[in-house]
Amino acid sequence: MENDNFIIQMKGISKVYPNGIAANRNVDFFVKEGEIHALMGENGAGKSTLMKILFGLEQPTEGEIIINGEEVSLTSPSDAISRGIGMVHQHFMLIPSLTVAENIVLGMAPIKKGILIDYKKAVQITEEVSQKYNLNVNPNAKVMDIPVGMKQKVEILKALVRGANILILDEPTAVLTTQETSELFKELIILKQLGYTIIFISHKLNEIKQITDRLTIMRGGKSMGVYETASTSEQEISRLMVGRDVILNVEKDKSQPTETVLKVRNLEYTNKWNKKMLDFLSFSVRQGEILGIAGVEGNGQRELVEMLFNLNTPDSGTITVNGVNIINLPQDKIRDNRVSLIPEDRMTYGIADAASIEENVISDRYTEKHFNNGPLFDMKMIHKESDKLIKNYAILCKSRKQQVKMLSGGNIQKVVVARELSSDPILIIADQPTRGIDVGSTEFIRNKLVHLSRAGAAVLLVSADLNEVMELSDSLIVLYGGKVVAYFDDTSALDDTVMGEYMLGLKHQSPEEIERVCHE
Amino acid sequence: MSNRRMLVFNILRGAAAIFLALGVGFIFIVLSSDEPLNALRYLLIGPVFRIRDGVLSFNTTSFQTILAAMIPTIFTGLAVCVMFSASQFNLAGEGAVMLGGFVGALCAIYLNIPGWIHPVVCVLIGAAVSGLIMLIPALLKVKLGASELVTSLMLNYIIMFIVLHFLNYYFADRSKGATQTFSFQPTAQIPALIEGSSKLSWGFIVALIFVVIVALFMYRTKWGYAIRMIGINQPFSKYSGMKVGATIILSQVIGGILSGMGGSIEVLGRYNTYLWRELPGYGWTGITIAILAKNNPIFIPFAALFIAYLDKGCQLMSTYSDVPSEMIDIIQAAIFLFFAAEQFLAKYRQKIVVKNSRLEMENNNLSQEGRNA
Amino acid sequence: MFEQFLDTILKADFLFSIIRITAPILFAALGAVVAEKAGVVNIGLEGIMSISALFGVLFSYWTQSWLVGVLGALVVGVLLGLLIGFFALKLKTDIILAGIAVNMIGGGGTIFLLYMFTGMRGNTGALVSQNILIPTINIPLIKSIPILGESISGHSVLTYLAFILVFLIAGLLYKTSLGLNIRAVGENDQAAQSVGISVLRIKYIAIGISGALAGLGGAFMSMYYSQGWNSGMIAGRGFIALAAQAMGRTEPIGTMLSSLLFGFAQALRTKVSGLQGVSSYLVSLIPYVFTIVGLVLYAISTTKKVHKYRQTQAEAVEA
Repeated sequence: MENDNFIIQMKGISKVYPNGIAANRNVDFFVKEGEIHALMGENGAGKSTLMKILFGLEQPTEGEIIINGEEVSLTSPSDAISRGIGMVHQHFMLIPSLTVAENIVLGMAPIKKGILIDYKKAVQITEEVSQKYNLNVNPNAKVMDIPVGMKQKVEILKALVRGANILILDEPTAVLTTQETSELFKELIILKQLGYTIIFISHKLNEIKQITDRLTIMRGGKSMGVYETASTSEQEISRLMVGRDVILNVEKDKSQPTETVLKVRNLEYTNKWNKKMLDFLSFSVRQGEILGIAGVEGNGQRELVEMLFNLNTPDSGTITVNGVNIINLPQDKIRDNRVSLIPEDRMTYGIADAASIEENVISDRYTEKHFNNGPLFDMKMIHKESDKLIKNYAILCKSRKQQVKMLSGGNIQKVVVARELSSDPILIIADQPTRGIDVGSTEFIRNKLVHLSRAGAAVLLVSADLNEVMELSDSLIVLYGGKVVAYFDDTSALDDTVMGEYMLGLKHQSPEEIERVCHE
Repeated sequence: MSNRRMLVFNILRGAAAIFLALGVGFIFIVLSSDEPLNALRYLLIGPVFRIRDGVLSFNTTSFQTILAAMIPTIFTGLAVCVMFSASQFNLAGEGAVMLGGFVGALCAIYLNIPGWIHPVVCVLIGAAVSGLIMLIPALLKVKLGASELVTSLMLNYIIMFIVLHFLNYYFADRSKGATQTFSFQPTAQIPALIEGSSKLSWGFIVALIFVVIVALFMYRTKWGYAIRMIGINQPFSKYSGMKVGATIILSQVIGGILSGMGGSIEVLGRYNTYLWRELPGYGWTGITIAILAKNNPIFIPFAALFIAYLDKGCQLMSTYSDVPSEMIDIIQAAIFLFFAAEQFLAKYRQKIVVKNSRLEMENNNLSQEGRNA
Repeated sequence: MFEQFLDTILKADFLFSIIRITAPILFAALGAVVAEKAGVVNIGLEGIMSISALFGVLFSYWTQSWLVGVLGALVVGVLLGLLIGFFALKLKTDIILAGIAVNMIGGGGTIFLLYMFTGMRGNTGALVSQNILIPTINIPLIKSIPILGESISGHSVLTYLAFILVFLIAGLLYKTSLGLNIRAVGENDQAAQSVGISVLRIKYIAIGISGALAGLGGAFMSMYYSQGWNSGMIAGRGFIALAAQAMGRTEPIGTMLSSLLFGFAQALRTKVSGLQGVSSYLVSLIPYVFTIVGLVLYAISTTKKVHKYRQTQAEAVEA
């Protein structure tokens, strides 16, 4: 391989985490100067780990890194920054209570009189760099008060101010609207023209095609090779990424919805930053159907799910399950009403990571009579239950005693799903049920949801994955600004361009059309 | 196989931490003593061996004294186990011991109950009062979010001064030189397990029984399960439907009960009058013991034995040599620091992990190749 | 009796003693503020105060200089802060346990250390003489103002330093780049790390400063307040400081105000216990009870505030 114009050469990189997970296995990654290089792969493929190594946040277990022809050891972000590498993280690395200017100069603040911060100078630096790259920000605004798109610009400016000529962008479009995304792409093209090298992490095919020159694909911690973007088809990329030609295929027959189970009426909620997150939201879910909620993240989905499980309280409105009001009902009572939740944030709500698989799968039922023998647990019954769930939900593990945190992401999610779906629920709330997990587990979980809905459960599916929500749902609503802006009683004929327009608030249905989702 | 390697590593690591802590102790002994070897001899072998004319012989009485010293610390160690398992850094075990001892003592003096039942009643009342007092930090935490760390620390001082107030103004036996209560009724004393000067009472057996009870409680009942889950992940427990607030309160009340029980059993088993005029220190020792036992009730007696042995050694060292017995605090602090250090020797753990996962990868590859062929 | 009580507290010497008693709590509470701002809980303040108090006396005795004593106490405080930092940050000992360990050394360990260095047991009685105590300053003009002058003038150098430090620490946190880094690390350490700030270094610095402040508090106790070191002399002041920091919302000025409140409670105890027919033990409770009550009021006020905020919002929505 010729070495002349590679600005970054990562050779034979392996990384084993202290918990034993091998995130990178002998990966090669080469980037040319001045290109936009895509790093692609499903969640968990090892992209983030590789980039953390390049940015000095993690140290490789094996392998070498050559930047500008010089072998380097990157033991901290400062090392990486001094080599001209800047990173824009998926979760913004900003300090909310500080201003934009303070965030931009953080760690290199201009000084006056020996020790004091020269705040005026900081504002000046911000304005200069902001104009130079045409990235408009308000230097004096506190970061907690500015919109997501601007936060991202602050992140890019932070890297540029520090003299970065190589920018790593970790899934930069995940949080952006389409407009913000195209704005970002324009800005990236300008940077490329100015000679900057950009590593663009994503798993969105259309974006990759649109903006990148070459791409490296990762799967299961290994590199699947480097390709010219223009001469590689989407099908080819997709095959390399997921290892099969068909991305997803869930068999399901037509739904026959019956009784209404969940009734949400006129739900309103304003968050502590005075932003209205739920605006007079009403809908119903019936037995036997999967109702999908589509929408760009941050349009009230999270708040809605929190209300449905009493993890937050609405300002007004009603939520009933089979006629029982569940607002302010403790979670055990909500569960007594046969409601299950597969939570979005599985590490916070879904599991107790240091506990065993067994202890995790019984967390909603450990008080039940048949698991208790007087004051003591009936361990035999509990072992039986956990073994049954491990088997039925194909959880790959050494034994029921294994700590959940030692499992892979997909198996952790199966632990959650095993518990939530085995309690004979009448209402299943599945919030991002397959986010970031392997294809096998994804398919398994999707099929379970379909199966249970056909057996008579009402399923509410919240997903940021448009493919998932369109293929899995029988009917579907779109949330925008905390409101239902569209209802489709049949998802089979839906077109993603139309969906996109609803999701971005460009279109909305008439109140009469929307009201149909209440089934009254 | 990999699990066993990890277990061996963890045991060696614990041993290394203890040796390091003792090493720190030795350094201080060498620095402070004119006869360090003599001091060390008393610290290390003095507690159970008598040396006379160069001949070692087992000192049964001294060994019994060590077992006796374990009684209160087993209880406080168990108390800390339960509270820390719920991730509640409640440090009021110290005050709870004193309160339990005082209340137990008052019952021993002023209640008229026939023998055998009398000490049981005293201990139960002492334990109950200590359990109730723990409601203060527990409720403040659960209802108002006030840090249990600070409130429990303050509570220790409050309990101490209240006990001293009542001791001095209401219950003091003015005929004695020192401030102490009247004598316990003979019926109230916890009988000795082995007659002699060792003060080894039936309380020791009770302590061991409670080790089993608490172990069962933590690992075999729904309440213990909830306490542990809440300690690992509170949002998860709430979402699962556990009564988080009530369980947190329960864990601290149990902590209070166990500490109070330890205090009253110690007072009724060792003395015939109440004479603690300051916090007895068992609460803090309980934290060291719980850390050594990794919050597992079953290991508590062993950790308590170790600390009691060291403590005895330090006392002997100060009696027969020139090193103050407070040396124990330095050693305990060092144990604390090294034993609780997660990253201590972590490099070696990482090596084991890497080795294991590489083996696993090779196995996978082999089995895949096998399938392909 | 009530009149007698009023008589006692409405006097210059009562104000004087509030300031005097507040100073050591304030030192440690400022230490708690700096540590907390960097996201570090320093529960070892109590132990640091006790150990520094001992070394303050030892250093001043060895050199016959109060200044060296104070500096020695400060250095010991820094070292202990770094010790907690090393175990908590490097070896990942739970920081609360690391703090408790230092408190153990501050308890029995100091008695051992005193013996090791001097052969004395329990207190430093014989080592202390007037010339190695921290000197007091009379402020010329203010001194002559009635009541106010009498209560403000005549304090020790360290007393004034404690109150000056409130503003120096506020300046450090809000006007310097170190302060900016400390706040950034405390609020989002990953973000700070991503811009090349060494999170470990900042946390070490913060806990070192925290130790230095607690060390000064210790020196104040043994080299001025009690005129000598004895075991148990800190009597929970390090813990009270943590409460003062929590009540002061981890802001220097707020923490000074809550420290003054605790100073008031303790001064009250000293005054009241001199009165006839009052149990000295019950009076001794005052500062501790006060701390709990203070924390409770603080907690209630924050929950109410959130509640009120939500309510005004709901009303705004209706309107």
